[in-house]
Amino acid sequence: MMNSVLKILCSATALAICSVGAAWADYPDRTISLMVPFAAGGGADVPARFIAEELEKELGQSVVVSNVTGAGGTVGATQLSTATADGYSLGFMPVGTTTTQPHLRGTSYGVDSFIPICMVASGPFYLVVDADSGFKSWEDLEAKAKGDGITFTGAAPGSLAHVTSVALGAMWGVDVGYLPTKGGGDAMNELKGGRADATAWFSDFDVRFGLNALAIFAPERSEIHPDVPTSGDKGHPADIAVWMGLFAPAGTPADVVAKLDAACETAISSEGFTANMEKANREIRHMNTDEFSAFFRKAFEENGELLKNAGLVKN
Amino acid sequence: MELFFSALGLFNSPTVFAALLIGGIWGTIAGVLPGMGTVAALIIALPFTFAMPTESAMALFMAIYVTSVYGGSISAILINTPGTPQSAATVLDGYPMAQAGKADLAIGWATLASFIGGIFSLVILIVAAPALARVSVAFGPSAIFAIVLFALTCIAWLSSGSMAKGLLGGVLGLFLTTVGQDNYTGMTRFSFGSDIMRGGFTLIPILIGLFALSEVYHRALLQGAHRTGADMNVGFRLPPLSDVIARWKELLRACSIGTFIGILPGTGAMAATFVSYTAAKRFSPNRDKLGTGEPDGLIVSEASNNAVTGGALIPTMALGIPGDGGTLVLLGVLTIKGIVPGFDLVNNNPHILTAAFMMVLLANIIMFGTGMLSARLFERLLRVPEPILMGLILLFSLVGAFVVRGNPVDLIVCVVAGAVGVLLRLAKYPIAPIVIGVALGFIFEEKLRQGLIASKGSLWTFFTDPIALPIFALTAVIIAATVVSNLRQPPQTKALEE
Repeated sequence: MMNSVLKILCSATALAICSVGAAWADYPDRTISLMVPFAAGGGADVPARFIAEELEKELGQSVVVSNVTGAGGTVGATQLSTATADGYSLGFMPVGTTTTQPHLRGTSYGVDSFIPICMVASGPFYLVVDADSGFKSWEDLEAKAKGDGITFTGAAPGSLAHVTSVALGAMWGVDVGYLPTKGGGDAMNELKGGRADATAWFSDFDVRFGLNALAIFAPERSEIHPDVPTSGDKGHPADIAVWMGLFAPAGTPADVVAKLDAACETAISSEGFTANMEKANREIRHMNTDEFSAFFRKAFEENGELLKNAGLVKN
Repeated sequence: MELFFSALGLFNSPTVFAALLIGGIWGTIAGVLPGMGTVAALIIALPFTFAMPTESAMALFMAIYVTSVYGGSISAILINTPGTPQSAATVLDGYPMAQAGKADLAIGWATLASFIGGIFSLVILIVAAPALARVSVAFGPSAIFAIVLFALTCIAWLSSGSMAKGLLGGVLGLFLTTVGQDNYTGMTRFSFGSDIMRGGFTLIPILIGLFALSEVYHRALLQGAHRTGADMNVGFRLPPLSDVIARWKELLRACSIGTFIGILPGTGAMAATFVSYTAAKRFSPNRDKLGTGEPDGLIVSEASNNAVTGGALIPTMALGIPGDGGTLVLLGVLTIKGIVPGFDLVNNNPHILTAAFMMVLLANIIMFGTGMLSARLFERLLRVPEPILMGLILLFSLVGAFVVRGNPVDLIVCVVAGAVGVLLRLAKYPIAPIVIGVALGFIFEEKLRQGLIASKGSLWTFFTDPIALPIFALTAVIIAATVVSNLRQPPQTKALEE
């Protein structure tokens, strides 16, 4: 008796797997939604739209970008974490939403809620100051930090700019004041108004805001600004970058992930994507599913540690 | 002059003009549709820009940006529903004018005032963008906090029926903005443990609910009791020149306020319209009639909200810092197209900047045409049986509430806000104070918190700021003067709401 029930159950399961498997084989057969947890036209939205355009060509289905904004991207990420894991709901999310906010805001999602599919872009942070500020070098800023103290500005607490200010304080053994803003270019208002001394920004700090960089937080100098020393050149190696990539909700079938991984790789190296990114002053960095998964897990833990040490995580 | 010609070079293809025209029409229509605001209009157009040449994409976006702000006034006047948040103050005098059978004149005034506001701010943008960009960064958290506080005093002007009811509404509005995750600590406030409330509330769904949906519900409750389009005299009629000249002071003041507030990043068109309205309540020779269908109230609102467009383009173009939600998307599309607004644009590519100015100018001119066109369209539309018209408003309202941040929660918020709006109407509570509270609450708290964080918790910082102090003083004087004059004479009772 027991045996036959088991048999039926087994065959039913097998059938279910087979039929679903058949459906997966056809993936994708309808429109894919790509959720971006920040506003249209913003830092995460622009590469998302570029990659969506190329993924459409690769997958032969429409990839529609939808912006679900709010609370440092956690509203969109929460929505994605509970979406059906069938490969038709994907997200394009940056480092902050996925690796710092969960520690800071006690989100319902965590490191295991998503499958990282591929890293698409990464912009290393530069330590920047206003051109009229009088800070000409890393040492100038360090001297003021150790003397009167400095104020750093950037997006909301827990943002990567804030993490940078905490890291900088640790390097110099001082407390660095932090003036939070709404994010985007808002920090420049405080910097140029003289209410803050420094901020962290991407490689377009000069063309967009006319600012000076004192260092880049990367292992190597950048090809775009070969004159800017690395923080390592100043004795404090660091690797701080705003990376972003494609994520799927946990539970998305492995063959769907594999298909997306392959499509992502082709899309990133496509001429259209590279040209678009170059025009928009954005830096491409590709990691496939395996590399990105390991990287993501490590970043999640390291950033949690950093925030905890800075006293930003209470538990 | 050389600059002018190299800028003109960007207009060498007819697609630029086509983009301006399409952008102008779409912008106006999106503005008119309750729910579709500037940001939604730009987002919807975003995917189309990928395949366009850079200059056409820029033209399309400039035209949408300028005209969508204007379009909101038409629905404000004709159906008592601001098509965009920027036109919330336009309802106050626009709708009473339409009810008095002067809808055509009201639309004429709104169009003219929007045009003047747009052109005024454009001139300022051309003449003084780099200089004003420097002024803009001098306004720190304390100074912007002071301006927002001043704008909040507008609540008092809009609740002369019952001050207590108005202030209550204002506080409710401010309170709603505190729900959800606090950006500075990551703490969730007033969510009652519900995931739905974590994201907090945003302005647009509440605004659409309180104005548009409550209008729909209200009409459904009082079937047929409203005036129809026929006796509103829907159309397009420009006011006589002498009337316009007689109001030059109001226009100039509203234009200056709008441009100036536009320059301050993040402060926004709503603060500008409410500050302008407050100023008109204080200084206009027709101040006693404000709220009853007085063109002054309509034109200060419309002139200032369109003046914000040029103002907000100043930090966007000259510093790369977006001035409001609309310019944020604008900045995004320019970046996508390989134009980096800010330092490089001003110093190395001024011809692109000049071309952008010319596009704004043309968009302002196109606005006249699209305004007349949509007045016509509305004339027809208002002849549609009311159930169908209301059904359409309901549809667009819900789409608009959803599209802003793609959160289904906003649909619930919108529907509930609509029901609350009807109750408030029936209980004779003014709606505008709630909207002002929600519109200004976010930036009010943000600047207060930023100021306090920067000063390590000392409130004193707000009173030592050389820019904030005079604004606080002005606010105090205006409140005191009003209290004194109210004590001297019995308060007028008038229903501003309907």
